[in-house]
Amino acid sequence: MSMRTTLKALLLIGILINTSCGDLFDYSPYAIDFNDENRNVNQKNIERLLNCKNDDTITIAFTGDTHRFYDETELFVSEVNKIHSVDFVIHVGDIADFGLPKQYLWGNSFMQKLSFPYFVVIGNHDLVGNGLLAYEEMFGTLNFSFIYNQIKFIFVNTNSREFKFNGEVPNIQWLDAQLQPAIDFNLVVVIFHVPPTDDDFDASLEEAFHNTLARYNNVLFAVHGHLHHHEIYKPYTDSITYVNVFGVEHKKYNMIKIINNQFDVETMEF
Amino acid sequence: MLKQWSFKIVLITVLPILAARVETFSQVSQNPDSATYKILLPDYVKMQFAGGIGFLSVGVGYTFFNQKLDVTYFYGYVPKFVASDDLHSVSLQLTAKLLQLKVNKNIELMPLNIGWFIHHTFGSDYWIKLPEHYPEGYYWWSPGRNSGVFLGGEVKTKLLSNKTPASGTAFYVRAGSRGLYMASKFGNSSIPLNDIIEFGFGVAVYR
Repeated sequence: MSMRTTLKALLLIGILINTSCGDLFDYSPYAIDFNDENRNVNQKNIERLLNCKNDDTITIAFTGDTHRFYDETELFVSEVNKIHSVDFVIHVGDIADFGLPKQYLWGNSFMQKLSFPYFVVIGNHDLVGNGLLAYEEMFGTLNFSFIYNQIKFIFVNTNSREFKFNGEVPNIQWLDAQLQPAIDFNLVVVIFHVPPTDDDFDASLEEAFHNTLARYNNVLFAVHGHLHHHEIYKPYTDSITYVNVFGVEHKKYNMIKIINNQFDVETMEF
Repeated sequence: MLKQWSFKIVLITVLPILAARVETFSQVSQNPDSATYKILLPDYVKMQFAGGIGFLSVGVGYTFFNQKLDVTYFYGYVPKFVASDDLHSVSLQLTAKLLQLKVNKNIELMPLNIGWFIHHTFGSDYWIKLPEHYPEGYYWWSPGRNSGVFLGGEVKTKLLSNKTPASGTAFYVRAGSRGLYMASKFGNSSIPLNDIIEFGFGVAVYR
């Protein structure tokens, strides 16, 4: 075998492999190479939702803390898809467990099978390694909001520990600006991963956080994950209800219906 | 910070390879000093595509037990245009060649190689020791250092041996997975097996 033939053969093999099954080759666990359908997911779903017809009831299915519970996540998706009244689905964070780009892809591969628009807020596990970059590429900005049926949904990064308690997470100024009353909404739902009462939340911002939520008297309820169990509680005297939603591994999820400025929380099993 | 690191890494990696090449291709005259020096010279240089340790990795290493075991130290680079971020890493790879079949005087086939690797990615995001802002045991794994196993095969030829002092050239393939991927797949039939496999191939020039 001459060197020339060998080099030609290698070139041919290289081209064949790269064109036929390029996904097989991994360059690094931290290589982020998302295709178009795994990019800018939250914004695309906002546009998708705003094109949906709506009635006077908003039905939201909540899951979260999916970590490495991929089979359960798949099951959750197929269960929720059976309920046609769902308007959209919210994942309360930790879609990745080790913050790996590949785990982002796995997590989103199941969420993509939802028949409804969905939104994913950032969790602490999503930020390990270069997870911040992976989140930004896949889902977009860490803090975002949209208005649906006169209700504003605000998603805010509360993973203070992952930012070394730098005093900027959560971003109180941004939150305050988002909550300021405007003509296009009258109520607000706030969604975040780490609750303010947790050790992973910046203690120096806890008071400012709940004062801000209470300031305009327009927060209907707040939803979070991180603790995996389910609880409906009022941690502060401002009487804002917090809903801690089930982690997917319990094979349960919470459905929240908003009608006539009231809300109702249900637990669904699967 | 990363730039400084990458320069050092390139230096550390390239120098031994250059030294090895100069030595192998120049056929230094045999004197006692160069003989002892030669013991320290790597037995081969490798260049690998993919396999989870870099887009392109270059390595040097030694063989043990009649070439039944390779120990290779790689520097791997992933350019920004394939990964959203430049990534620099080093890895140590052990390859045991369980079957060595002599096809003819020019070709040797090693169809069953098994191996283990440990891979360290550089950068402050990829810590090894849990940083101080976490309570003890908060995360059980280290993003900066993880290990895995692989299966592979190799064909060793006499290519380059008649025109250069190299004794031969080998071509190898490997399919592996790392602990973090195996932990993700564990208990999840919904994750396809080939999603956790890192394929790679490479070439080794033996002295």
